[in-house]
Amino acid sequence: MSNRGLAISFRGVARNFGSVRALLPIELEIGAGEFLTLLGPSGSGKTTLLNIAAGYIGPSTGRVLIGDRDVTDLPPRRRNIGMVFQNYALFPHLAVFENVAYGLHARGVPAADIARRVESALEMVRLSGYGGRTIRQLSGGQQQRVALARALVIEPDVLLMDEPLGALDRQLRQHVQLEIRRLHRQHGRTTIYVTHDQEEALVMSDRIAIMRDGRVEQIDSAETLYRRPRSAFVAGFLGESNLLRGTIAGIDGVDARLRVDGFDDVIVGHAADGLKAGARAAALIRPEAVKLAPDARIKARVIEAIYLGELLALRLSLANGQVILCRRFACDGVPEGDKIGIVWQPADVRILPDDAPARPQDHNVEEN
Amino acid sequence: MRDRGAGFRFAVHGLGSAVLAFLLLPILAVVPASFNHGTFIRIPPETWSLRWYQRFFADPEWLSSLWTSFEVAVIATVLSVLLGTSAALGLARVGGRLRATLTGLVLAPMIVPVVVTAVALYYIGRYWGLTGTMLGLAVAHVLMCLPFVVLNVGVSLRGLDPTWLRAAEGLGASPARVFLTVTMPTILPGLFGGAVFSLITSFDEVVMSIFLAGIRAKTLPVKMWETVRLEFSPVLSVASTLLIVLTVVLFGLFRLADRRAQP
Repeated sequence: MSNRGLAISFRGVARNFGSVRALLPIELEIGAGEFLTLLGPSGSGKTTLLNIAAGYIGPSTGRVLIGDRDVTDLPPRRRNIGMVFQNYALFPHLAVFENVAYGLHARGVPAADIARRVESALEMVRLSGYGGRTIRQLSGGQQQRVALARALVIEPDVLLMDEPLGALDRQLRQHVQLEIRRLHRQHGRTTIYVTHDQEEALVMSDRIAIMRDGRVEQIDSAETLYRRPRSAFVAGFLGESNLLRGTIAGIDGVDARLRVDGFDDVIVGHAADGLKAGARAAALIRPEAVKLAPDARIKARVIEAIYLGELLALRLSLANGQVILCRRFACDGVPEGDKIGIVWQPADVRILPDDAPARPQDHNVEEN
Repeated sequence: MRDRGAGFRFAVHGLGSAVLAFLLLPILAVVPASFNHGTFIRIPPETWSLRWYQRFFADPEWLSSLWTSFEVAVIATVLSVLLGTSAALGLARVGGRLRATLTGLVLAPMIVPVVVTAVALYYIGRYWGLTGTMLGLAVAHVLMCLPFVVLNVGVSLRGLDPTWLRAAEGLGASPARVFLTVTMPTILPGLFGGAVFSLITSFDEVVMSIFLAGIRAKTLPVKMWETVRLEFSPVLSVASTLLIVLTVVLFGLFRLADRRAQP
């Protein structure tokens, strides 16, 4: 299994369901061997895009290419794809071996080769010796690994995974995430992975495409998405964030000054593309960028201090009622109810177009 | 559940047994009657003998009616399974009101009085020259057998997860292969159950058969009906016993297969 799979590209692919525009025209290219995650809330079009890649539904417009081959009009069985479903979709009337062998039988592979390839696929997912078991005898995690072996044994050009860990409990999910990452490093096959879980996306992906309302909002590496999100929505979807809303007071080169609502100060930070003075915007400050400084000008009250092992998660309240999340090392003990000063570096602040809906935790309802 | 005491349990079991006896004993009474030596049907037998069994198996008319019943039942069952399975697969694909209407049509022969269906079929059979033929009988029986196949296969189909079909297709299987390797194994218990019910139904059917049977095609129940009217012979209880045994064996087979299908 040295083949790394093929590149897959979406050229202006769009899909309507009746009058609903599930997917707006998308240009997307996933390189051979790349692990791309489609991350977004439900209804963002990520599963539609995956099903178009697989051929289960056709695009309303646009073309899909796998390698140099236009597969837009081919049914799934002629695309050489491996698909892993959320509910595994293993065949309950077949034993583990026969489940994994299914795609090889369909391809007319000789029996001797089938036995050898199924064995090595089961070994790869660490289920050697489980070939004779029935599906019902396996745990959820084991079933997921059989589904993975069944999809990989046919040496697909592209591996497609639709929320494959959704049905597993948290601990098992973390374990299987690492397993999938290890398998990807090992076989290096082009993979499109759909999830709404940011942690899964962060652990496994080369690149993550954040989807929203049928569009790709931003596609980048996990680090770039976290440090340089292009919009408040992306910032809010990946990691924890503090968003201070306001109006742009002015742009100075790459920086912008934001006049925050109900706040007598301006916040300076790196401006996202396309911002203009007078526009509504939000300042993004990640919780770890908020530092405690006794004599800082901005004062906050500690409303909650939670120990997360080595980290301390603080919920702070500013004078205008805005809640600020802050993460410090646990050695900086902070008692609840204290008034403290906080500070951040302009380099850690990004001024973004404000397109995210306000969340309840942005305002402190307990404050009188 | 709350313990209601021994008295209550005794009453429930007693009542249950009484109902069971009321339902079963009259039917089972024909079994000892068939082993009576005398010329009259008598329970319990005065002297045990296989005399009437010998009479049954020596009489070409009884044997040929038994054989006709077998043939008609097999033809009716094969037709019912083919049509009923197709119907169940089709019904699973159409939605809402259309499905309800079509299901009602398929099940109609179970609801419409059989004698009405029989008269209707008699006219149509006469017109097409099907009365008194094996094919005519089998086609009529299909009407009665079809609902069992459609219902049984329909229930099995509900256990078919549509993503299995998508998974099989994604793994490279042609539609025919998907049907044979995924759909068929899933509906097989329902298909088998429908077939057994078809065989039993066709074998026991008497009303339509009386209208449609003729000299060349006379099933066992029709022959029994004629015998009752001409001479009240103990051979009748032999035929009845054979029918009971056949029904029990077929039903036992079905239960066995059903249990094996769902461990």
